[in-house]
Amino acid sequence: MIKKIVNIFKKVNEDQNPWKDEKSDKVYAVAALFNTPDEIIHAAEKVSNSGYNDFDVNTPYPVHGMDDAMKLKPTRLGWFSFALGLTGTLTALGMIFYMNGIDYNNIIGGKPFFNFPSSVPVTFALTILFTGLTTVGVLIALFSKLPWLNNPLLDSEYSKATSQDKFGIYIKSTDSKFNQSEIETMFSSLGSSAVSLIYDSKVNEKKIKTPIFETGFIKILIGVGVGTAVITYFTLNWVIFQMPFDWMVIQPKVLPQEKSKIFADGFGMREPVPGTVARGFMPYEYKGMPDSLVKLLANPLPVNEKTLLTGQKRYDTYCSPCHGNYGKGDSRLRGQFPNPPTLMSEKVLNWTDGNIYHIITNGQNVMASYAKQISRDDRWAIVHYIRALQRSQNAKDSDLN
Amino acid sequence: MSYDATYTKELPLVPERNSFKEIDDVILKPVDSKPTKKWWIAISISGTALAIGLFCWTMTVLYGIGLWGNNNTVAWGFDIVNFVFWIGIGHAGTLISAILFLFRQKWRTAIARFAEAMTIFAVLCATMFVALHTGRPWLDGYLFPYPNQNAIWVNFLSPLNWDVFAVNTYFIISFVFWTIGLIPDFATMRDRTKSGIKKIVYSVLSLGWSNSNRNWQHYERAYLILAGISTPLVLSVHTIVSFDFAVSILPGWHTTIFPPYFVAGAIFSGFGMVLTVMIFVRKIFDMEHIITLDHIEKMNKILLATGTMVGYAYGMEMFMAWYSGYIFEQFTFLNRAFGPYWWAYWIMVACNVGFPQLFWFKKIRRSIPIMFILVLLVNVGMWFERFVIIVTSLHRDFLPSSWAMYYPTIYDFGILLGSFGLFFTLILLFVRVLPSVAISEIKAVAPGAQPSHKHEGGSH
Amino acid sequence: MELQNKKEISGKVSKIGFILLIIGAVLVGASFMANKERAFFDYLIMYMFIISIALGSLGLVALEYLVGANWSTPFRRISEFLSSIIPLLILLVIPIILGMHDLYHWTHKEAVETDAILKGKEPYLNTQFFYIRLGIYFVVWFLFFIGFIKNSTNQDKDGNVIYTKRNTTLSTIFAPVFMITLTFCAIDLMMSLEPHWYSTIYGVYYFAGTIVAGFASLTLISVLLKQNGYLDPRIGNDHFYSMGTMMFGFNIFWAYIAFSQLVLQWYADIPEETFWYMMRWEGSWKYVSIGLLFFHFVLPFLILLPRSVKTNLNRLKVMSIWLLVAHYLDLYWLIMPTYTHKAGLHGPVFGWNELGFPLVIIGLFMIIFRRRSMKNNLMPVKDPKLEAGLNFHL
Repeated sequence: MIKKIVNIFKKVNEDQNPWKDEKSDKVYAVAALFNTPDEIIHAAEKVSNSGYNDFDVNTPYPVHGMDDAMKLKPTRLGWFSFALGLTGTLTALGMIFYMNGIDYNNIIGGKPFFNFPSSVPVTFALTILFTGLTTVGVLIALFSKLPWLNNPLLDSEYSKATSQDKFGIYIKSTDSKFNQSEIETMFSSLGSSAVSLIYDSKVNEKKIKTPIFETGFIKILIGVGVGTAVITYFTLNWVIFQMPFDWMVIQPKVLPQEKSKIFADGFGMREPVPGTVARGFMPYEYKGMPDSLVKLLANPLPVNEKTLLTGQKRYDTYCSPCHGNYGKGDSRLRGQFPNPPTLMSEKVLNWTDGNIYHIITNGQNVMASYAKQISRDDRWAIVHYIRALQRSQNAKDSDLN
Repeated sequence: MSYDATYTKELPLVPERNSFKEIDDVILKPVDSKPTKKWWIAISISGTALAIGLFCWTMTVLYGIGLWGNNNTVAWGFDIVNFVFWIGIGHAGTLISAILFLFRQKWRTAIARFAEAMTIFAVLCATMFVALHTGRPWLDGYLFPYPNQNAIWVNFLSPLNWDVFAVNTYFIISFVFWTIGLIPDFATMRDRTKSGIKKIVYSVLSLGWSNSNRNWQHYERAYLILAGISTPLVLSVHTIVSFDFAVSILPGWHTTIFPPYFVAGAIFSGFGMVLTVMIFVRKIFDMEHIITLDHIEKMNKILLATGTMVGYAYGMEMFMAWYSGYIFEQFTFLNRAFGPYWWAYWIMVACNVGFPQLFWFKKIRRSIPIMFILVLLVNVGMWFERFVIIVTSLHRDFLPSSWAMYYPTIYDFGILLGSFGLFFTLILLFVRVLPSVAISEIKAVAPGAQPSHKHEGGSH
Repeated sequence: MELQNKKEISGKVSKIGFILLIIGAVLVGASFMANKERAFFDYLIMYMFIISIALGSLGLVALEYLVGANWSTPFRRISEFLSSIIPLLILLVIPIILGMHDLYHWTHKEAVETDAILKGKEPYLNTQFFYIRLGIYFVVWFLFFIGFIKNSTNQDKDGNVIYTKRNTTLSTIFAPVFMITLTFCAIDLMMSLEPHWYSTIYGVYYFAGTIVAGFASLTLISVLLKQNGYLDPRIGNDHFYSMGTMMFGFNIFWAYIAFSQLVLQWYADIPEETFWYMMRWEGSWKYVSIGLLFFHFVLPFLILLPRSVKTNLNRLKVMSIWLLVAHYLDLYWLIMPTYTHKAGLHGPVFGWNELGFPLVIIGLFMIIFRRRSMKNNLMPVKDPKLEAGLNFHL
């Protein structure tokens, strides 16, 4: 296996042209090399003046005055940069305005939540970031139409010379005025040191205009995108919650529900010492009483808007997760807990307020006591609210009056 | 009339004798050849430093920053000193590649690539310190504003958060600037190499660049735009770093000259570091003809200028502390110069303002050994500048009962050493795998590389 | 190529300048009659503006030698002519000395006695030392000015390169001296208007404005000369593009410095510092402050950003005038609030009282420019860098 891989590497290493795609016999371009920058400028002027459009110049570095000689239009890259930079500015301002100005306010020295001076640095940084990244992106993808690894020029003697010390010009066969022999004579008369033919590669026969819109490249892009998304998801949702070193998290203390070896019964949470009550503790004298007695308990609160609103608030907080927002027993716990019965049943409708209060206070079956979480008055308010729910869910036409 | 050549035209940037092919060969020699013994020695030294740093780093992550010398009074110690120090080092790279480009200082080409690489590595070193400084670096993801289940957003009023944006942007843009400069060089390497595997790598990295003028046209504009945006960016980064201190109300930190003063200091220290490394590199890799003594002299002049600017800031701070008429300001500055940390203050003044004045003399500007000592002193001085700003301002604040001294521990020194190890290891790897001088740029400024003006006449 | 500048700047410039100067002087006189205190403040603005252009131009001359720039050599004379007002500075300062009591709170003996902080500053802020310092600035500026001009004009005779060398040396010495004198000049003349307030960046702030003014006035005059055919035909778009870029760049630098000062004092929120900004935020001063932000930075930034503006002479002319006005507004914003605050006004004052002062400035510079251009060539004709400068291409 390893030998195989090594052999592949060796083969690749010896082979000088790893993407040796078949050269077709179609002439891609006629190319000529020159020795000095003056000659190439002259040649470019000649070629562009002769009316050729599909030509290009290859030089190891940008030669001054070449754009004019080739009659190239000024690049519009700057406008892209400006527009995208402006996007960055607005993004940053919008982000700061929403995050600190609206959604999450910080009081820092009594300063306005959203203000101009302190927004400048981040806005500035993001403007630059957007401008820089998009300029490069636009340059590579739209203006230079890269990556283009099967450019027929690549790997030719012509290309090797122009990336080192020669100055080259070529006219593509797609030019409307293309005439091989005519061009060859013209190049020779201009004093070219070498005129050569460049053949197209097979792959290029299906014309590639913008490689960035090629399916293969788009597939890679999608792959990169999905990969980035997955990695980001795991980074944000999993990796950063990993605590490789729980130095400060583990402390010598008992957390709620934890076991403890100190006590004989092994529970970390303790009952009050027998015969004592906590401060402010009010015993509930109906504990364990039969329903017939509990029934007699009457709701001490009046029915008014305030009570009902309190009841609604407490109900939504403490009851609705299991009993549902309208008491229909449609739990939001998605099966983590058995669904409780509906509060709209005939049975519950017939209960007195006392019954309901009793169950909230003491719990029933799986339901635990809520006496600790909800004050007595609030429990009674909840009872009122349940009554209101029951009536609204079983509304009759007469209720409309 | 015969004029002195210096005043009639610029000195040739590359001596005539180099043909383009020779330029390729000289620059790519370290990349093409096997590592020398000298290189192995160098990387083993820097690797050792890096290993020591990694050890201290791991210990800090495991046991918390209680291992450091920071205390209640001096809550920022080596961590922030080193952060500011390294960020400052990075600034020279962007200055050389962007600002000098905008000012059309062509001599920059010989050193731009190298300086940019230094920027990237220095910023990496710097981020290491802030990441660790947060105490629990594995939670640093919260520094970025992303929607989380706690419904909390980062605080955009905090200068420390501005730092997050500024430093990250700085790193990304510097990296992009550097990479885009490498594309044509990768193309040259692709066309030169005799090895198939290298050819694949270079082909992919060069994106199929064919040196076409239709591409060069846009490329040059993109380069100009990147230089144009990097210039304010580099100013803003150290400005924002200075805001970390200056928006507070602490005397010695709260002073309005901090932004330009920090930027000047950053350029100063960065040039010091670039020179320190450059002196070695040109010697080891026989690049004396590409990175010439003239380039180095120009850098020394910039050192002199920025050193004097820093001196102006020192003087201004002192004068204004007195002029302000507030006892806390006055005390802080007297305490700096004559308090328990007087030695740090005077090291700083001597190394940053005093010794660089020797660069007024042309002989010293062109003497490698003296210059080497001076730039080392600049590095030391600029490190002490941050030490002075941070420690001496903190250690005696408004409340005399909480005055304290700062004693760095072995871990502080270990991580500092480690950051140098990281920096030099990366530099040594860089010079081996990438062209440390921009080939296409140096060709463009070689004598005879551009058409003569006569020819251009018609087009203007 | 014939380099000698044969065309002579028309005498009309002098005449118009003289008329403007007279009208301005009359208005200034009336302003002093009407409201002496206010006029002193206006005069201080005018004076600082003249220093900005004079020192900014001299700074540009030094800068060219310092960095060895070629492209600006054909324009160097313009900066030299503009800085020729330096000898007059000593005369022009007299009204300020007469108005010390109205301008500077720290000259009030009784106020200083009862104010511990002012008492502490007395070794620096006292009239004798103030005069001495002003004297030092003027002497230093004058000497450097004479040095630069002498060397530059002498070179016109024989083209000896020694003059360039001398000026280069001079410029390296001038750079730190320039920075220090300019800083303390700004502190003395402007910052001490509010003797309790201090800012370490103040000198850099004024320096930034000065260089913007220097480049803007250079651009304005170069464009005017070019459009009227005084300049060499080889001076083209690339030169003006460079000039526009410099103006643009230093204007950003000014904004950067101004923002740094603002954000630091705003954020720290120490009453000892913020009162200075509060004075510029009370009443309708607020609109001047916001206006300064837009007029001096935001709009010029956006307008000067595209390349096409920097190569179009008419637009460049408008922008250079714009920036000069912006610098005047900047100085107004720095100086005037002290007066309005003292006078109990809650907003800026602007009326006919102010109008004469800019006219005086324009008149003065027109006359001086014409006079100097009669004596000297418009270009440093035998400067060794001139050929390279004229043939400059991007």
